[in-house]
Amino acid sequence: MQSLLLAVDRINAFIGKLFAWCIVILMLAICYEVFRRYVLRDPTTWAYDVSLMLYGALFMMAGAYTLSRNGHVRGDFLYRNWAPPTQAKCDLVLYFLFYFPGILALIYSGWGYFYLSWLLNEHSSFSPDGPVIWPFKAIIPITGVMMLAQGVVEVVRCWICIRDGDWPQRLHDVEEMEKVILEEAAARQEAITNAADREGTTRGAL
Amino acid sequence: HAQAPIKLKFQSTWPNKDIFHEFAGDYVKRVNAMTGGRVELEILPAGSVVPAFQMLDAVSSGILDGGHGVAAYWYGKNKAFSLFGTAPAFGWDADELLGWIRYGGGQELYDDLVQNTLKLNVVGMLTGPMPGQPLGWFKKEITSADDMKGMKYRTVGLGADLFKEFGAAVTIVPGGEIVPAIDRGLLDGAEFNNPSSDLVLGFPDVAKVYMLGSYHQALECFEILFNKTKFEGLPKDVQEILKGASDATSSTMMWKAQDRYSKDLEAIKARGVKVLQTPRPVLEAQLKAWDTVIANLSADPIFKKVVESQKEWAKRIVGFRLEYEPDSKFAYDHFFKTA
Amino acid sequence: MFLSDPALGILMLVLFLIFLMLGFPIAFTLMALGVGFGYFTQGDSIFNLFVQRTYSVMANDVLISIPLFLFMGYVIERANILDRLFKAIQLAAGWIPGSLAVATLITCALFATATGIVGAVVTLMGLLAFPAMLRAGYNTKIASGVVCAGGCLGILIPPSVMLILYGATAGVSVVKLYAAAFIPGISLALMYIAYVIIRAMINPSLAPKLPVEERNVPTSTIIWALLTSFFPLVALITSVLGCIIFGLATPSEAAAIGAAGAILLALAYRTFSLEKLKDSVFLTARASAMVCWLFVGSAVFSAVFALLGGQRVVEEFIMGLDLGPVGFLILTQIIIFVLGWPLEWTEIIVIFLPIFLPLLDHFGIDPIFFGVLVALNLQTSFLSPPVAMAPFYLKGVAPKHVSIDEIFSGVMPFIFIVVFAMALLYIFPGFALWLPNYLYGG
Ligand code: NA
Ligand code: NA
Repeated sequence: MQSLLLAVDRINAFIGKLFAWCIVILMLAICYEVFRRYVLRDPTTWAYDVSLMLYGALFMMAGAYTLSRNGHVRGDFLYRNWAPPTQAKCDLVLYFLFYFPGILALIYSGWGYFYLSWLLNEHSSFSPDGPVIWPFKAIIPITGVMMLAQGVVEVVRCWICIRDGDWPQRLHDVEEMEKVILEEAAARQEAITNAADREGTTRGAL
Repeated sequence: HAQAPIKLKFQSTWPNKDIFHEFAGDYVKRVNAMTGGRVELEILPAGSVVPAFQMLDAVSSGILDGGHGVAAYWYGKNKAFSLFGTAPAFGWDADELLGWIRYGGGQELYDDLVQNTLKLNVVGMLTGPMPGQPLGWFKKEITSADDMKGMKYRTVGLGADLFKEFGAAVTIVPGGEIVPAIDRGLLDGAEFNNPSSDLVLGFPDVAKVYMLGSYHQALECFEILFNKTKFEGLPKDVQEILKGASDATSSTMMWKAQDRYSKDLEAIKARGVKVLQTPRPVLEAQLKAWDTVIANLSADPIFKKVVESQKEWAKRIVGFRLEYEPDSKFAYDHFFKTA
Repeated sequence: MFLSDPALGILMLVLFLIFLMLGFPIAFTLMALGVGFGYFTQGDSIFNLFVQRTYSVMANDVLISIPLFLFMGYVIERANILDRLFKAIQLAAGWIPGSLAVATLITCALFATATGIVGAVVTLMGLLAFPAMLRAGYNTKIASGVVCAGGCLGILIPPSVMLILYGATAGVSVVKLYAAAFIPGISLALMYIAYVIIRAMINPSLAPKLPVEERNVPTSTIIWALLTSFFPLVALITSVLGCIIFGLATPSEAAAIGAAGAILLALAYRTFSLEKLKDSVFLTARASAMVCWLFVGSAVFSAVFALLGGQRVVEEFIMGLDLGPVGFLILTQIIIFVLGWPLEWTEIIVIFLPIFLPLLDHFGIDPIFFGVLVALNLQTSFLSPPVAMAPFYLKGVAPKHVSIDEIFSGVMPFIFIVVFAMALLYIFPGFALWLPNYLYGG
């Protein structure tokens, strides 16, 4: 069971990290377009569509990966002071009340949206040579399925936490600088500081 | 006792302040009045339910009951769509395009494309003939086709394919997003449609040269869409009113445009904008580019079938007009030309 | 049906506020409430609306620059150039009263502007500058206020991700917003610096001078230190910003070039590696997913809210208060300030601002001007208790004897400075509007 869960985590992290490299391609593609436009005065016809697709694929495909690292922003001003089992109970209920219905809706509607586009072999309407758009639209239902699988993992995490009284360990991964520093500081001081309480609930710190 | 009115959500593809949204509103007002309160169309501007370019999908899937736009906006689904809004410049005008729709077999071709080829659940009415459209707004005067090479330029529909032949980097964005796109450097030049829209959308704030008289969109008409299931569920007389009101609005729109467009062109000039005619070499290049575009896209049998039907109509109807009508410029110059 | 549509809209908003407090990821709460209420009132068509709204976030060309700027920030952050920067500025500022605090503020402002990542700046400076100030005998409160307030400036001074988010939400030009936020952002930094200097001059014991031997550094050493740390970063920021403000490149083009420039800079410092590139890439993906999924949730929520007519109720309510533009501005700014206590700026901009934005037109308020006021105001959301990320971060790395209350009271004067700056901006809107008007015409 545990290994199955970790496998889902790993697969989602792998896909998320794979698509994370879109940022580098996006950077290079735009730099190339800038060079073509400002230096050669011969802009590409694809840069606009391609940048949208890279950006869209990047954040959509990273959705489940981000969830697996507890990285989606929470309004946690009460939550973070609760005992882990309380957090887990609340999360557990809300996964069933909110998360799964929303994600199922995303898969259901995303599939229809993609399927129609695929039937028409739809092209982008942003440029005369618009590339085919259905693979991009396919990202919606695919993301939905990844999120669904990750949601199941998160539910089991809640259940383990309720059973054991503490959150199970997540896979090790690169962390925000402040989180790393805070954890080091907390370890050094061996004191539970206000901020270190937050380790269960990373907020994306921008 | 009075029955509760049938409420229909009707979204345009235009910003709130655009005269096009006003045209859409004129249609809505007329339907609401003609049905004597039995039907209530609620008019919404672009973006209130879905962004402009998603209106067709939204009507087809029933998020919206209806909408007002142009067929060129859907040309990502099939380029032939553009032929039912902004067709090649065969010398005809938009009124003659609507003639083709009614009496030249255009409506049947349109219905076939929408319902059979694209399997969209919509009923479409083509309406509202527009005059020819300006080449658009630029930072510098356009003197040759080469001036547009490498330019980030906005147009829509087949006009986009046309300027691709010029070597321009065409980006297609909805009307309400053009000026913001120029603002953030996404575009160097752009056309939308007409003096009234262009003025209120803020083009004079971002560009100072306005080039008129182009063949890229020498004619265009609007498109009113309804969800087919919803439409067919309406009483027969209401269906007839929805269609009839579309015809009636066609005429009032054309007359209103005469008044407003001419006044607003003067207002644009008063803002210190340089208003120029598109020079002949650019027009020649456009006609040549049309040949290429039509030849390339005719590889698709549907496109080919529609464009041939249009050509046949235009050849006869425009030929007739040129032979039949007196020269209006001759008479105009006699009465109004000063020195 | 028990409730009218607008009443359902308001109910949906109230439920959201309640569920928000339960700490569930906000994007999914929004999504579920939108789809649920939508299904209840609109039937099956809600699914199409949902997917179309999702797709419009995926195809939103304003948001493209967000991952690019985040990437640029992570690259700079991971390149370990902060110590070098701080040391150089500290040397150069040695002659100023409260020199360490001034150097801290400048370093924070610059580094935060380049990275846009508040947490990293506050924790890193909390490790680097904060102990240095305490060692030099600085008052704990001043030292903590300086680190916290300085670290937050990065979200105000362009190129800032917050302004892109506001631009995307309000549908106004990011370019004009950047131009408008530039002078107020720099001014706020200068006001912080002026405040510190004045306090140090009035009561030198709060911020004692450094020992003479630490101040007497040969000028050539100072210049060299600045040339190798301060100027490259300033050059990177100003070229990115310059390209955008002078219309040479779109924000996403400038962001892409900025990211490439950051990689080159990090390579030049020989502090970059494939490992750090990977870290930056993965962190960028997670942070982008966090922001953009929030957009997805909010897009469906706000569409349903508008469909139900909830928006109209709020508008009618506010119109019914019979406020003038001044009253409206003050009311909205107070609401945003109060929302900043429990919430962070991402949620406030993406979820709550859309409720007020349609009213700006009615009151004749320029959305660009409003945006700069909001950006200033949101500085406080990082600083104000109970949820004050900057003080929490600092507390996490500060020596044990520094209490969170001390940090909070150290931050207070800086919150007052922000409020003062907002009042100034309100009285002299030219601070914000002069530059965009000058560059792009009225
Ligand atoms: Na046009
Ligand atoms: Na706060």
